[in-house]
Amino acid sequence: MKCPLCGREAEGAFCPYHLAAKGRVEAAYPLWVKAYGRIEWEEYLDNVKRNVQTGQWAKEIAEFLQGV
Amino acid sequence: MVCSAQGHVYGISDPTEERSVYPVFDVEWYSADLVDEDSASAARRISAVRKMAVGASKFVNACDFDVEGETIGFNLLRYACGGKEGTALRAKFSTLTEEDLVRAFDGLTPQASLGLARAGRARHAIDFVWGVNLSRALSQSALGLGHRYRTVSVGRVQGPTVGFLVQREREIREFVPLPYWKVVGVFEREGRKLNAEYSKAKVEERSLAEKVRDDCVGKEAEATAVRKSIAQVGPPVPFNIGDLQKEAYRIFGYNPSRTMQIAERLYLGALISYPRTGSQRLPPSINYRGILQGIAKAPEYSLMVGELLKGEPKPVQGAKSDPAHPAIHPTGERPKRPLDTSESALLDLVTRRFLAAFGPSARRELVDVTLGVGGHEFKLGGGRTAFQGWMKYYGRYVSYRDVELPAISEGDRFKVVDVTVDQKFEQRPARYNQSTLLEKMEKEGIGTKATRADIIATLMGRGYVAGESMEVTDLGLSVVEAMAKYAPSIISTELTREIEEKLEAVEGGAEGEAALLRETVRSVASQLAELSSNEEAVGKEIDSALMTTVAKSFVLGRCPVCKTGELRVIRSKKTKKRFVGCTNYSTGCRASAPLPQRGTVKPTPKACEHCSWPVVYIKGGGRPWRLCVNPSCPGKRKP
Repeated sequence: MKCPLCGREAEGAFCPYHLAAKGRVEAAYPLWVKAYGRIEWEEYLDNVKRNVQTGQWAKEIAEFLQGV
Repeated sequence: MVCSAQGHVYGISDPTEERSVYPVFDVEWYSADLVDEDSASAARRISAVRKMAVGASKFVNACDFDVEGETIGFNLLRYACGGKEGTALRAKFSTLTEEDLVRAFDGLTPQASLGLARAGRARHAIDFVWGVNLSRALSQSALGLGHRYRTVSVGRVQGPTVGFLVQREREIREFVPLPYWKVVGVFEREGRKLNAEYSKAKVEERSLAEKVRDDCVGKEAEATAVRKSIAQVGPPVPFNIGDLQKEAYRIFGYNPSRTMQIAERLYLGALISYPRTGSQRLPPSINYRGILQGIAKAPEYSLMVGELLKGEPKPVQGAKSDPAHPAIHPTGERPKRPLDTSESALLDLVTRRFLAAFGPSARRELVDVTLGVGGHEFKLGGGRTAFQGWMKYYGRYVSYRDVELPAISEGDRFKVVDVTVDQKFEQRPARYNQSTLLEKMEKEGIGTKATRADIIATLMGRGYVAGESMEVTDLGLSVVEAMAKYAPSIISTELTREIEEKLEAVEGGAEGEAALLRETVRSVASQLAELSSNEEAVGKEIDSALMTTVAKSFVLGRCPVCKTGELRVIRSKKTKKRFVGCTNYSTGCRASAPLPQRGTVKPTPKACEHCSWPVVYIKGGGRPWRLCVNPSCPGKRKP
C-alpha cells in the first residue's frame, strides 16, 4: 500500500514520515487549546497548514485531515 | 635533487575493473592514474621520481608532516625509489619560510615509527573496502530494478554524516509550531524610554499574557534589584583548522572547503603555517617575537604589535594539541604576489587572531535590572566593554556588542507607558549549514580535520543534499532509510568513531593496523550479507528517489519562450548528441539550444541576467565553466 500523500510504501495509512508527522499534529492540538483557551480542530488544522514554521510533512497531514 | 609528488601518486584499488563486482577485499596500491581519472599525470610523476632515484645514496622525505603527507612520501619511497621508506630521513617543518626550511634540512631525523604513514595507508584501505563494497551493493540494488547504472555511494564517514542531516530534516519536516506570547513593557524615567522584557520569555497561554498587561498598564514600576558585575573575557584561543573554518564562515560566509583552499594557498605562499592542524597551541619554538616583528612591517598592524612587544609576548593556549604542527599562525612574511580579496581577508583574520592571542583579557561591565510592577517582574540588561584588551587586536571580528543603560539605582521609579503582548510561534530547528555540520562531525569524532570538508562536498555532489541550506533530497532520505532498516551500522556513529580512535592510536605509534583492516573486512562482509539478502527491498527503497534525482538533474529551468514548460537536457536518438529542448515540444514550443558534447552538464539555480535562459555548469577536461544555453544571448555578443 502506498502513502496517499507521497507515494512511499505505507505502514498502515501513511508512510513512516507522514505517520510521525500525524502524531506530531495530533499531539500539539491539546497544547494549542490550552494556549488559546479554545480552538476548534478544523481551525487548528487551518492554522497549522498556513503557519510558515510548520514542516512540510506536518502541513501535508494537516491538509489531508482537513479533507477527511 | 628535489622533486615534488604534487599530491597522491598512488591510490588504493582492487584488481577487478568491473564496477559491479563485490565483495572486493583484496586491495593494492596502484599508480593513481589507474585508479582515478583526475590523476592522469601520476604515471609521469612516478617515472620522473624513478629516474632521479637511480644511483641516489640518500633520500629525504619532505612532504607535509601529517597523515596524508606521510602516506604520499612513504608510497613514493617504497614503490618508486626501491623500498627506501625505512631508511629515508625526514624533514619536518610547519611553514614554508626560508628560515624554517633551512632549519628542517639542518636537523634531518630518521623516520621513527612511521605511525602516521601506517595509519594513513590503513585509512585509505579501510575507506576503500568500506566505500567500494557498500556503494556497489547499493548501486546494484537499484540496477536490479532495470535502471541504468548510477553510483549510490555510502562511505564510512559519509553514512553517519548524512544520518545527522536526515535526522534534522525529519525534525524540520514533522515540526508543528506551538504558539506563545512575548510581553514587553515600555518604561519611562526622566524622559527616557526603556523596553524591558517580561521575566518569562515565553508565556504559553494567551490569557496569562493578557493578565500581565492588564495588571501593569497605568501603574508605576520600581527597580527592585540592580545587579552590576564585571566579566573578564579571555582572548580567543589560536586557530586550528576547524576553528578557522567556522570563524571564516561566520564572518565572510566562506564554506569550509573554500577556507581550506584559501588557507593552502596562503601556506604555499609562506604566509601562514600549515593549516591542516588540530592544535590550538603556539609553542615558543615558533619564535613569537620574530613573527610579531615581521607582522609589524605592515602599517595596519605596526602600532598594535608595538604595544605587544613592550612586554614579553606570551599567547593564550587552547586545550587541543597536535603532535605534528602548531596552531595556524602567520609567518610574518610579506606577500610576494598580489593577494586576491579572499586571500587578504583570511590572512587578516589569521593575523588578528594571532595578535589577539597575545592580548590581555578584556573587561566587560554588565548590569541586570529587575523592574517590579503589579506583582510581575520585567528584566533589563546592559553591557559595555570597559577595557578592550585583546578585542582591540581582533578588531572587526569581535562579536561582543555594547548595550548601554542609563544609571539606575534600586528604588528608582518608572512610569509604565505601555505593555505589548505579541503572539509568536516556536521556530522550527535550523538546518545544518556547512559550518555547523563540520562542528557536529568534530563533536561526534568522525572524519579527520583533513577530510571533513571534502566529505560534505561529496554529499552535495552525490545529490543527497541540495543548496546552501543543505536540504536533504528524497535520495538522501531513502538511502538513510534503507541503511537504517537493512544495515544500520553503516550509518552508526559509534562504529566510525571506534575506527577513528584506533587509527589515531596507530598514528601515535601503536601497532594494529592489520588487525583493524581485518576487523573492517569482517564488519563490511556482515553488512553486505544483510544488503544482499535484501537486495530487492533495498532497491525498491531507493528506486523512486533515485529516479526523481536523476530526472531533476536533467531539468535546467523554466522555458523562457513558452513560460510554462521546462528546458531539459535531451539526447537525440538519431545523432546520439545532446541538446536543450522544451518539455512543451509536443504542444508547439520550439525552444532549443545546442550543448557542448564533452564534460558533464549541471544545472545552476541562476537564470542568465541578459536573456533569462538557464545557465549551466560544464565540468570535464579543462577548467569548469558556466554557460548561458541560449545561442542568441545578447550577453555573448562582442561589444
